[in-house]
Amino acid sequence: MTLSTAETVLEVNGLSFSYPNGRRALDNVRFSLRHGEILGIVGPSGAGKSTLLLHLNGLLPVRPQPTRASTNGAAVHVAGLSVGAANLAEVRRRVGFLFQDPDDQLFCPTVREDVAFGPLNLGLARAEAERRVIDSLAAVGLEGFENRSTLQLSLGERKRVCLAGVIACQPLILALDEPFSNLDPRARRTLIDVLRRFDGSQIIATHDLDVVVELCTRVIVLDEGTLRADGLPSAVLADAALMERHGLEVPLRLQLTRKSPP
Amino acid sequence: MNESPVRQARSLCHRLPPTVALLLSVAAITVGMLLPSAHLPSHGALVCVLLAALSLARVPFGVVARRLAIFLAFALLFAISVPLSQGFRGGWEMAVGILFRGVESFLAGLWLMSVVPFDRLLATLRRLHVPAILLAILAFMYRFVFVLWNELDTMRDARRARTFDRAGLIFRWRNSAQMIGMLLIRSLGRSERVYGAMCARGWDGTLRTLDE
Repeated sequence: MTLSTAETVLEVNGLSFSYPNGRRALDNVRFSLRHGEILGIVGPSGAGKSTLLLHLNGLLPVRPQPTRASTNGAAVHVAGLSVGAANLAEVRRRVGFLFQDPDDQLFCPTVREDVAFGPLNLGLARAEAERRVIDSLAAVGLEGFENRSTLQLSLGERKRVCLAGVIACQPLILALDEPFSNLDPRARRTLIDVLRRFDGSQIIATHDLDVVVELCTRVIVLDEGTLRADGLPSAVLADAALMERHGLEVPLRLQLTRKSPP
Repeated sequence: MNESPVRQARSLCHRLPPTVALLLSVAAITVGMLLPSAHLPSHGALVCVLLAALSLARVPFGVVARRLAIFLAFALLFAISVPLSQGFRGGWEMAVGILFRGVESFLAGLWLMSVVPFDRLLATLRRLHVPAILLAILAFMYRFVFVLWNELDTMRDARRARTFDRAGLIFRWRNSAQMIGMLLIRSLGRSERVYGAMCARGWDGTLRTLDE
């Protein structure tokens, strides 16, 4: 599917969600995403970032089926398709989800099998799946890792293998949950470069505000399940009062460029 | 660096094709099953052959002994229950048979695991038309045993860091019980997330693999 940058690939229209224990995780969240945008989602822990991401490819509320959870699931549309039981397979093809802990996502004995998992589930022929494995590993800078055991990779490598497994499905949108957590500076830098090269839209939930300034074209601030701000990273994240109010702080690189020396 | 410890320890046994290694170990187990229950010389001979095979595969004796000890703890418990339930006359004979066959199967399995890397073993089993769902369970188990082991390790370290020198038996037992409970809860959470991750990549309950 080829899209122009003007096209909306994701629409979240008043999404609310409560967990079965009654905690309200999302409250009337609305925003939309255009093709090619890289959107950062920031906010304190427990603000609803992960819950929001899980909605984008229908992992919530469809699974786990919360008995008393209330939601208006039809509020999310991916490229015009409403996220719901009927469209689940297609929605998941369009939205690639990277989990925070790579151990949740890497479940095959070898890298090759794991990266091929998605393409094979899409119904691709084995030869095509093999080709996607090679291409996606190249895209994340792990050429030649095909036959490595998934047990013998560093955290950064595991994250990138997971990302390759997601990219192999050729999603329209990448949804990334804390992709930079626990990475050493080099692994973090490598991952930033890999993401920068990805051709498509991205939604990145992160605490790493410096990455948001560097990589994202837009940022939204989420706190207590409510959207608090939406705009350019250099503007939103430089608002000291706003940052303070929502348990964040102005990233160092913005402090340095804004403040004039006394 | 990208070689597993198994492959680094090259030996004659490691050069065997995986299928041959698999058939040899299955053959050893079958022979053990067919030998008369309490015929000590023949069982003894088989155990010696298996130990020789392990040493040929350069598996350190300490490793064999440690693993065997863990296995024996369970096997003994099981073996002892036989004379208690079946009567002492034929029971002891059966218990000895169970013990020998258990040890033989265990050693044969250990040898197989030491000479064939796990992913190649799975591929071999697949070629031999072992049902895919069994292979998937094996693959998952192999993958997540290490993840859970690491988790247990972290929990153990965290506990040690805060127990100081309290080392009473009851205290330790209670602590271990708590830890096992925690591990169970963590495993359940983990399985939920893994399932979610599989669904996110189009899992619909059908196992598809790259190899025929």
